Amino acid sequence: MKKLLLASAIAAACGPGFVSADIRINGFANLTAGFTTSENVDGAGNTTDLFGYDDNVDFSNGSLFAIQISGDVNEKVTATAQLLARGENDYEADFEWAYLTYSVNDNFSVNAGRLRLPLFRYSASSDVGYSFHWAQTPFSVYDVPFTNLDGLRLDYTNNIGDWDYTLQLGSGTYTSEIGGGVADGEDVLLITAEATYESFKARLVYGQSNTTFTEPTTDAAFAQLAQISPVLADKIALRDDSGTFTGLGLEYDNFTWFVSGEITKVTGGESFSADDNAYFVTMGTRIGKFTPSITYEARDGVEDLKFLEDIAALPAQFQPAATQIVVGFQNFFYEDYALTTVGLRYDLDSQVALKFDVSSYENKIQDALDATLVRIAVNYVF
Amino acid sequence: MRTIVLVSMLAIALLSTNVRAGVVIIVNKSNALAIDQKTIQRIFLGKEKKFPNGSPVTAINQSPDSAIRSEFDETILGRSSSQVSAYWSKLVFTGKGVPPAELADDKSVIEKVASNPDAIGYIDSNSVTDSVLVIEIK
Repeated sequence: MKKLLLASAIAAACGPGFVSADIRINGFANLTAGFTTSENVDGAGNTTDLFGYDDNVDFSNGSLFAIQISGDVNEKVTATAQLLARGENDYEADFEWAYLTYSVNDNFSVNAGRLRLPLFRYSASSDVGYSFHWAQTPFSVYDVPFTNLDGLRLDYTNNIGDWDYTLQLGSGTYTSEIGGGVADGEDVLLITAEATYESFKARLVYGQSNTTFTEPTTDAAFAQLAQISPVLADKIALRDDSGTFTGLGLEYDNFTWFVSGEITKVTGGESFSADDNAYFVTMGTRIGKFTPSITYEARDGVEDLKFLEDIAALPAQFQPAATQIVVGFQNFFYEDYALTTVGLRYDLDSQVALKFDVSSYENKIQDALDATLVRIAVNYVF
Repeated sequence: MRTIVLVSMLAIALLSTNVRAGVVIIVNKSNALAIDQKTIQRIFLGKEKKFPNGSPVTAINQSPDSAIRSEFDETILGRSSSQVSAYWSKLVFTGKGVPPAELADDKSVIEKVASNPDAIGYIDSNSVTDSVLVIEIK
């Protein structure tokens, strides 16, 4: 079904009938250079990276090129395909989005295919650097393993007086590569409500899915654990576990200055995955072509160790091995960090922006990993 | 003293809007209507797809590099052209909106508006011809 939807959207976008239709071609590109001011070495003496950056200047991590083609199949149906090449994937172009939009009327549309999950304020344009003031969207909030949906999304937009509002309902599945493994989400259901009144904007999101994470090392360790206790192995594995996403966003932007923030909570059900609480607060002002800003963001993905009572219930001789796996995996995935970013955007013209961001990273689990990250970006949109 | 300062500031503000009132909003001659600035903003930002009388509306923009465009963006939309373009970049890549078509100059806008009853555009007041209707902003 997933492939069918995708294929039909692509076919609609590439088919011969389409050429005569009104085709719109838009695109965007980000070229981001980033580096940390010193080598990142953890407590064990291993060199590591910070969000893909290290002390050598990197040009590929935050860089991408994309082309979006959309056209009206008929008066009611629009086909959209976005071909995106990310530097971190060696600029291999991929269909990031491919979907059909059926406009029931001016207010209501049904989208089917592969599309962006409306999780955050900047979800839809999180790859379009030109659309925001940072070099990249805040990692702590926006770095989640589920950004795209294969399925359906219903969009409803209307206004009550001066209040504009949008309701979105998404349903389907997602697949994404993360941490050397694959995260799969089934039975995804997401509801988003957004309201705008003059300079104010507020949004609320709730979503849930049944999530499975597979990765060779993880799977092997849990298989080992299953020989000791299948019940415990099933508990700690992230296998068809019910996860949830909750988000709140607020924004005030009067075009001279702005302040906004988002706060999110991601739960991974009964598994090694700890609940993640993340937020950012940003403020800035627009002075002619310059937008200086400051952003504070944090992610807290640490909680009390789970399943200790399950280990205690095992025969004594199995407890050390079980502890190593159960505690080891939880520890490995713990995250607790904060970033303070001072940034400057310069609008070269209405299509090109330059950014200069300096971030101070504080790792609350290992002080040794504290670092300063510098990013310089050129964003282009056409 | 304070009143004098306030009055002269107001005078300057009024004067400067008068000086800058080079932008006029035009529609097809079949389309006599008055419209408020907020509705014009909503139409040009893609939030409103109909005229107040219920008939469909097609907004006509001007080239992003033109002086008239930046004047329209700043005086009518109340933001810089870069901000307008950032606004659209959020919508375009979601399939949620298609920005108004951009025409090269006042002459092309007049031609388009004269031939399309749904069209609304803006031009410099010096370019106005009798083939289009200048509408009053309420």
